Amino acid sequence: MLFFSLLKESIYFALHSLNANKLRTFLSLLGITIGIFAIIVVFTIVDSLENNIRKSIESLGDNVVFVQKWPWSFGPDYPWWKYMNRPVPHYDELFDIQKNSKTAQAVAYRIGARRVVKNRGNIVENAVITGCSYDYYKIKSFEIPDGRYFTENEVNVGNNVCLLGKSISDGLFPNGQYPIGKQIKIAGKKTTVIGIFKKEGESMLGNSMDNQVVIPFHFAKSILDIHSENSDPYIAVKARPGITNAQMIDELTGIMRGIRRLKPLADDDFALNETNLLSKGFSVIFDVIGVAGWIIGGFSILVGGFGIANIMFVSVKERTSMIGIQKSLGAKNYFILMQFLSESVFLSLIGGVLGLFLTWLITLAAKGNIEMEISLTQSNIILGITISVLIGIISGFVPAYTASQLDPVEAIRSN
Amino acid sequence: MKRPKIISLICILGFISVVFTFPAVFSPSVKKIGDFIPALYGFIVACSFISYIGLWHMKQWGVQLFFFIFFVKTLFLILINDLGPGTIAGIVLSVTFGIILLRFYRKMDLNL
Repeated sequence: MLFFSLLKESIYFALHSLNANKLRTFLSLLGITIGIFAIIVVFTIVDSLENNIRKSIESLGDNVVFVQKWPWSFGPDYPWWKYMNRPVPHYDELFDIQKNSKTAQAVAYRIGARRVVKNRGNIVENAVITGCSYDYYKIKSFEIPDGRYFTENEVNVGNNVCLLGKSISDGLFPNGQYPIGKQIKIAGKKTTVIGIFKKEGESMLGNSMDNQVVIPFHFAKSILDIHSENSDPYIAVKARPGITNAQMIDELTGIMRGIRRLKPLADDDFALNETNLLSKGFSVIFDVIGVAGWIIGGFSILVGGFGIANIMFVSVKERTSMIGIQKSLGAKNYFILMQFLSESVFLSLIGGVLGLFLTWLITLAAKGNIEMEISLTQSNIILGITISVLIGIISGFVPAYTASQLDPVEAIRSN
Repeated sequence: MKRPKIISLICILGFISVVFTFPAVFSPSVKKIGDFIPALYGFIVACSFISYIGLWHMKQWGVQLFFFIFFVKTLFLILINDLGPGTIAGIVLSVTFGIILLRFYRKMDLNL
């Protein structure tokens, strides 16, 4: 209890002192404010970007391997000229994989390209038209709050039916029109809308369902060039539970080499891409950005810390006679120490809280202008407060300790 | 008592180590371990700094704080499973410093 009453008293002294020198207090905490703002704003942006990309990658499907022409990752000795002549994955290969694979839970074929979509006078240009096989829904994660997914028969026959992304739906059916059952034109072909995807928001990878029109593959054949590389055809293979991507890649390599009739010594003419390759690539980029923010913010905080140490030394010098009086009236060394240390921690904490407040304002401003969700997380708030308290302790301890060690007689005489 | 050169050396090395470990408190790698890890690590760094100030002034509380922080830090490193060669070398160095400090403990000032 004695400790808390002393702490309360020393905090009171500290607040009184800070209040007495408002401009000086403001100027000295500005360094900490800028430092905390610089660090936390970078961490907030990096965290938000990482979250967004992680969500985008997760929506591609967990435990999924993509059979494609081009690999997603490559080193400095990237023999692109060899990949140029590779064939694109073909729809028939889907059935060979389905037949021969023991590790795959679901296999789907997908092609996509941009086309114009119309509903009378409402036109959406550059809509992503995705043609897929029936099992696509087992691999790609999405929700259909309005309407339904294709039936197996619709996909096999190639009926003119489609599912619309939210942005496309809003563009084609403005003013609250109900799109289900209505007909739209995709590249001039009449198509019936059977479902609307749930709004996903902007995706860093550009694979948001919001801008997509999903149609059965056999219908897509009449709109898109399935043999063209521009249609970005791929076969997505999802592993059974308990099967790792490595096991599935081993099996798929054998199956694909068999399908393509490759000789034992011939190189693979296909790429097996994993989503974790994307995650790894992006995490390297974010680590670099995080370290850059850390260095820039670190220097600002260092300067802020020196500012606080300087102002605390000035404060001790100014109040030397008062310290002498306090000590001669019975104040203990630790009381004087606590008094100045609290002042320094308070100063730094106010600076840190202001920095966090500025970051929060930035996130609010971003919400109105960017579709991506940027938010100040709990971990970043804790980090900001921790750094400011730490700076307060480290920069204030030496002046506070010096004050606590003053001789009362000499201190009273100092003025 | 006048400060022995060996303690001055320990303090200088300690201040240097604080300067280098302080930025690690808000490094992205420490932040990734957990929400409260930077706070805990910051507490360790701040207490290390204070203990070296105490040792510089030849105070017994400096030695006491040095040992307290040594145990907390070791426990922390075990908890986050960071027991590489660098960490082991740091622990060996801290034990050596601790033994040296204990030799001068009785001659140090008892007061704050």
